[in-house]
Amino acid sequence: MELLEKLKILANSAKYDVSCSSGGSSRSPKPGSLGGTHPYGICHSWSADGRCITLLKILLTNYCVYDCAYCINRVSNDLPRAFFTPQELVELTLSFYRRNYIEGLFLSSAVFRNPDYTMELMIEVARQLRVEHRFNGYIHLKAIPGADPRLLALAGSFADRISVNIELPTSQGLKLLAPQKKREAILKPMGFIAEQIMAAKEERARSKRRQHFAPAGQTTQLIVGATPEPDLQILKLAENLYQRYQLKRVYYSAYVPVSSHPHLAHIQEPPLLRENRLYQADWLLRFYGFKSDELLDPAHPNFAPEVDPKTDWALRHIHLFPVEVNRAPFELLLRVPGIGLRSAKRIVAARRVHSLDLEDLKKLGVVLKRAIHFITCRGKYHSPLDLDAALIRNALAGGKNGSPESQGEQLTIFSLLPQPPAPENIWSAITGEL
Amino acid sequence: MLIYLYDGSFAGLLTAIHEAYYRRERPEQILPGPGEGNLFARYVEIATDQAKADKVYTAVEQKISGKALRQAFYAFLSELPQVGTWIYHYWDLGWKVGKKLNLHLHDPRVSRILELSRKVSGEKHRMLGLLRFRQLNHDLYYAPMEPDYNILALVAPHFSRRMADQNWIIHDLKRGLAAVYNKEQWFLTELSQIPPLETPAEEARWQKLWQEYFDSIAIASRTNLALQRRFLPRRYWKHLIEKI
Repeated sequence: MELLEKLKILANSAKYDVSCSSGGSSRSPKPGSLGGTHPYGICHSWSADGRCITLLKILLTNYCVYDCAYCINRVSNDLPRAFFTPQELVELTLSFYRRNYIEGLFLSSAVFRNPDYTMELMIEVARQLRVEHRFNGYIHLKAIPGADPRLLALAGSFADRISVNIELPTSQGLKLLAPQKKREAILKPMGFIAEQIMAAKEERARSKRRQHFAPAGQTTQLIVGATPEPDLQILKLAENLYQRYQLKRVYYSAYVPVSSHPHLAHIQEPPLLRENRLYQADWLLRFYGFKSDELLDPAHPNFAPEVDPKTDWALRHIHLFPVEVNRAPFELLLRVPGIGLRSAKRIVAARRVHSLDLEDLKKLGVVLKRAIHFITCRGKYHSPLDLDAALIRNALAGGKNGSPESQGEQLTIFSLLPQPPAPENIWSAITGEL
Repeated sequence: MLIYLYDGSFAGLLTAIHEAYYRRERPEQILPGPGEGNLFARYVEIATDQAKADKVYTAVEQKISGKALRQAFYAFLSELPQVGTWIYHYWDLGWKVGKKLNLHLHDPRVSRILELSRKVSGEKHRMLGLLRFRQLNHDLYYAPMEPDYNILALVAPHFSRRMADQNWIIHDLKRGLAAVYNKEQWFLTELSQIPPLETPAEEARWQKLWQEYFDSIAIASRTNLALQRRFLPRRYWKHLIEKI
């Protein structure tokens, strides 16, 4: 089969994997050799669905022994199949990289023959790139559930990032839709990888001769909307994963109907708004100091469609507002709807030399559309809605606030540099994955 | 109205700022020359003097901050005609408040420079991803670009580290400038002519593969062209292999 034909088939099969970040790695450039990584990641293009392309995201093969109902590559699905040789993938990666099309390789695979065999072939690609071609760009390897831990250890020594897909939010869901995959087979490698990353980090602090182990950490992804779990359950799961396994990211992927399995939810369109709300909430967990219990509870197990999770939280805790921008601690400013990391930082900086009024906030670039209802400036409250939660909710639900492409923050991502927010790769992360 | 004219270089601007202080004058504007013939203006041409420029450079670094120097330089690369005047005003406040300068975000003298600097820096970062090299012959890669701002010198170091084992030229067609790298070091040079661009068969093959990949990776049921255009503005498409 022609390389072109294979590329089409195996890119097509890889496209439902959401992760595309290329940041967070600490691989220093080696003089005279090809490639490097960027702390915030770099987006190289954007496909017609508006998602960023940073890595060559591709499957080794889509021949699969499994039959997971939600997956396009399940063995019972009738679609063209292909198989790359490691040499072909190495050549593709290097040639694309030299032309600056990509930051590196994101290699995943269907399970061919058995998990170990598949994993070995994937590792061979990474080994050739790193060892034979001294390639120093970004490599993200997907860990195949059920593969031998020794193979995972080897994979981690070549890769910048490893991920294991958790696939579905609950083990019941897994049992129903992916009967050949076991929850333990997913969590075990996650735990193993977390340990290895930690150990390598500690040892490298003492000696630089210790090999890297996935310096950009591990991530996972799960499918939203194929099974009936509420948002609360999904967010709790994510929170747990961040705490237990120090994951860098949990990716949420709106279920795109790819089959009509009787156990699957019957939907026409992928639940994009829900996916978007989960990402917003995920951000609140990781960067804004929120806990999942604050955002949702059994009485409100799902996010409101009409406003973002932070606004929803603020409206349900309206007694905490308004906050005075000239005095509120940073952590509290972060909880004001419409004030993001960047605005909060600017407010905290500017108020050290000047007492801020509403006009000053505008000059600082703070978006007041939502914030104005929740703050005072020099003691003055400027909203006509008088802290009435119902009125504010109504007013904010009006605009096109609810549509997935209207996150104000996204627009201004490019203006984050040269003072990027500290943690990991907010940059590509935001631009890439929403 | 007093207007200083400098030669358009950063050193020229620094010299003009130096002169303003030592001549005890307050030019209303500092513009890249030649003057535009405002009847009521008195134009003074400032000859670039590297020693004077260095003095201002060090003074900003020491009395204000390295950051204030870098932000001003990035803003300068926007090439807006008034940027010299704005930098002059920015540092003017800087001499008074020292290293706290960038806290004065409510002051337009500061916010204007920081915003410009962010725009330039943003385009630089964007170009790190959007630049496309074409392999001209066995050992030379060529990347044309037409950025809004003069970011060539900002992107070149990144590629000299990353594409360290290949010869390359990054060509700013808009400004007739090129960064040339010979596997050891890179340097800036003027280059107004576009080299003959025949595409070798091998290069055409990789371009085709990339285009095919680009089309295959999009999820049809999530198509969102407005979002794509927001991240990938049309003015950059001209040199993108996948958009040609």
